[in-house]
Amino acid sequence: MSLVVDNQSVQIEAITNIDLNAALMQWRHSSPSLIAHHGKACCATAREWLFSTDHSQLNGEHKLMGPRWVRRKYKWGPSQWPMTWCHAVEQDGLDCGALAAISREVFTVRGVDCHSVQLIQQYSEETTSHWSAKWSTHPSSTHWIQGALIYHEACGVQVRADEIRIWDPSAACWVNPNQFGGYGSILALRLTTDTVGVQRFSWGHHEITSKEWQLLDRKH
Amino acid sequence: MKIFISGLYSGTNPQPGIGVARSLRAAYPAAKLVGVEYSNRCSGIHWEDLDDVWLQPAWEYIDLSAYSRRIKEHLDEGGWWISGVDLEIMWLASVFPNGHRNLLTPPASALKRISKPAVEAHRGLPLNIPEFISTEQPDWDLHAFCREHGWKVWLKGPYYEAVRTSSWDAFERVRAILTNAWSTDRLFLQAHVTGYEESVCFCAYRGEIVESVYMRKRELTEEGKTWAGEVTDVPESFSGPLRKIVGELNWTGGAELEMVRDAEGKLWLLECNPRFPAWIYGSTITGRNLPAAMIERASRIKAKKQEALSHEFTRVVLEIPVLDEFPLPSLAEPYPGGIGHSLKHPSGTLALAERLQKLQIIEGRANNHEEQSHDVSTIQPGHGNGNGNGLNGRVEVLNYPEVPTTFIDDLKNIDLESTPTPSWLFLENTATAAFQRASQMAAKLSTGRVKVTNGYSIKTNPDSRLIRLAREAGFLAEAISLAEVEKAFDIGFTPQQVVLNGPGKWWPNIPPPSMPLHAVFSDSLNDFARILGSLESRELQAKIVGARLRPPGTGSRFGISLETPKDLMKFVDMIKALPRECVFGVHFHLASSNIGVRQWWQLYESMLTWCRSLERLSQRSIECLDIGGGWFPDDWHHKSADKLEEAIDRAANALPNLQQIISEPGKALAQPTMALAARLLEVAKSKDAIEEVVVDASIAELPMHFVQPHRILHRSNGGEWLPLGRGKTRLLGRLCMEHDIIASNVELPRSVRKGDVLIFCDAGAYDRSMSYEFGRG
Repeated sequence: MSLVVDNQSVQIEAITNIDLNAALMQWRHSSPSLIAHHGKACCATAREWLFSTDHSQLNGEHKLMGPRWVRRKYKWGPSQWPMTWCHAVEQDGLDCGALAAISREVFTVRGVDCHSVQLIQQYSEETTSHWSAKWSTHPSSTHWIQGALIYHEACGVQVRADEIRIWDPSAACWVNPNQFGGYGSILALRLTTDTVGVQRFSWGHHEITSKEWQLLDRKH
Repeated sequence: MKIFISGLYSGTNPQPGIGVARSLRAAYPAAKLVGVEYSNRCSGIHWEDLDDVWLQPAWEYIDLSAYSRRIKEHLDEGGWWISGVDLEIMWLASVFPNGHRNLLTPPASALKRISKPAVEAHRGLPLNIPEFISTEQPDWDLHAFCREHGWKVWLKGPYYEAVRTSSWDAFERVRAILTNAWSTDRLFLQAHVTGYEESVCFCAYRGEIVESVYMRKRELTEEGKTWAGEVTDVPESFSGPLRKIVGELNWTGGAELEMVRDAEGKLWLLECNPRFPAWIYGSTITGRNLPAAMIERASRIKAKKQEALSHEFTRVVLEIPVLDEFPLPSLAEPYPGGIGHSLKHPSGTLALAERLQKLQIIEGRANNHEEQSHDVSTIQPGHGNGNGNGLNGRVEVLNYPEVPTTFIDDLKNIDLESTPTPSWLFLENTATAAFQRASQMAAKLSTGRVKVTNGYSIKTNPDSRLIRLAREAGFLAEAISLAEVEKAFDIGFTPQQVVLNGPGKWWPNIPPPSMPLHAVFSDSLNDFARILGSLESRELQAKIVGARLRPPGTGSRFGISLETPKDLMKFVDMIKALPRECVFGVHFHLASSNIGVRQWWQLYESMLTWCRSLERLSQRSIECLDIGGGWFPDDWHHKSADKLEEAIDRAANALPNLQQIISEPGKALAQPTMALAARLLEVAKSKDAIEEVVVDASIAELPMHFVQPHRILHRSNGGEWLPLGRGKTRLLGRLCMEHDIIASNVELPRSVRKGDVLIFCDAGAYDRSMSYEFGRG
């Protein structure tokens, strides 16, 4: 494994996947999606509704349970950006950035430290061509697709002081850190913490450093 | 090398035999693998890795002595035996009490220590055991267990089978099926644990672990069986204590610990199986061939090593050729009008369970009936031993429900000889005490800032005596219609003591009271608008005006929906329109006996969250909370005081201007206050049992019989009222209706006769108020 640091030249050793290198070059400056607040009652109501609904949906279970209800309420689909809270909660479908932003806020309000996670995921060109077609019918960009690779957003949920689990709100499941390569797998990720606390986390057998894109390796 | 492998069933709930055979074939290409089966319906007998099939008759017909001798011969000749059938393993442990070098199954002492549900041997492992209760406990206690766990419970058989029972009638139905199937009342209810299923599988030889693996399920069948999994090493934090336990148990053979990991990361042990799991070849795929490792350790014959093909495995469905020597048997004839062919347990597993019980190989206490008294008159309520009335010779140790002494005291004051039946009995002392207790609790829970007031739900039982007791005890009257408001006035309540709520509160079409009511709660946005209009026109006056909330996920049909942000916004706008002279309140009622006690408190917390949101968005303070509904008496009277105190604290902290909490215990007050007296019309006795009795009561008088158990009393020859335990007698109602069976598992003393009176307690709430006229001419 080698690391690539944002805003620096990409040096990836022993990588044979040129596409991945190109994808990293394209997406390395992308910031995690953020939903804006109008500063008015409309967005305040939206957020109150969101967090109270999450409390109801959690149903007394542990605060680390993934908010699966978000994905049940909002289909995964194209979104128009920039987005505000009052707009987001009224949609039928949301893209991974919006779903991740909502889920991050939900975890945070529960009292769980949650960080943004950007991913590069591998699928197949056959699959991504369908997504590309769907996104093309909507006034939104397909910049997140590059060949068989996609840019994706998720949540880094801090389960211990130095350990995270990754919640994929678009798939409504926890990402398996043991998997490497293949359809649906994660090839690279960047976790961004907003705090000045711990900056290195373990995720399964991986060591994750905040704010740095890094390639994932096979479990030793 | 010859290896016998049993447990070849390969249907939707497969046994491990085929996985074991595939694993052994990969490691020992030249070994002779003999499949052992007890039915030619098991598709596994046709599997290509088996060199031979030793097919036995179904367990029901096996000559166990002869079979055990033949197994011993095979073992003595050097054959190895790997069993994939739990009951066969138990039987083998009894056949070979000192074990056999070639028998790769655990000893009886070890089996005893892993028996469900407590799994004594788990101690030392980083595991918790989900809460459970034996179904030998009285129905009253089983119902309490289900309520406590929000009806998220599994009813489990003694060896196999687990069925989710989400209501009392579902529980009773499944219990009857499992009890009949496994010939025992010794089932148990276990609380559900939400999480991900994981397993540790190991093999050991003479107390030493040979190899172990950790498996996380990645796909499951609808029955919860593994369909795909990820296999890794067992962490040392687990394998360390496991080695110690396996040594103590002197374990030989395969084993699987089935667990659930909750969101917090805690592991909960569901079962410990004394055999390899059906997914065992999945482990072999990952380079960890446990059956081969065990054979290698026991035989010292080197196994062929296999590289890991993946760290994950999945399943597919395969069609394979049928062996000529075992042509497929014909399907059983469907029962006339039936659906399906009723082919479950073709190898006679159920019959084996019954045989092993009779041999005292399993369930040690069973079959002691010859030494037990059959005289029910010797049984003291609340203490253990019941007889086996109607159990075909099987003796069960069943407890009796505890009955409050006030019930008995009240019954002593009633002349039952001259009371026609069926008849409702008002238990006056019980009722008075209940209302007084509630009143004292409210006073105790009130603080300098927040006053707690009880509310009596008129609909729960509109009997004037109860409404009067409520008024005398300082209750408010909770009405769901103007008709109920009038009834409250008739008893002496003033308008200022009445709370009006519900979706049909304006029925019948009469003017609302001209004096201000204590509170009015809307049930919908339209209703709220109507109330606002009535307040403006002075048609309606109320000190407190509020709304019933329906937070998302409650499944309730009542209250203002908060399902979407738009719903919330409209509601907030209406709250803002409420006249300032009105106090704003929130009404939150859900039947805790239906959703469970824990769930109720969770929803209460959720409701407070919504209240805070409403305050922030509307800038109106919530000064009154009306909470309650559908409390089971025991949950309210015996378990709620501390919780209520905490709840009031939390509400006061969450809502800084809260002044009043109206606590409406619902049936917690009414249910114990009445009983139903019924007489036996007919008693059908057989040689061994009282199979059925007909009573002059019916489901028309006990319409809640499928929702909750009722404690039933019978007067002994000595004149003492004793609770009935659980047995096999059915109490049939008087109606010519097929479903008029008011209890199906009652133990009646042999001495009962026509004309005897039975008292059905706990019938003072909806049994009474929802009873109906039927079959009375």
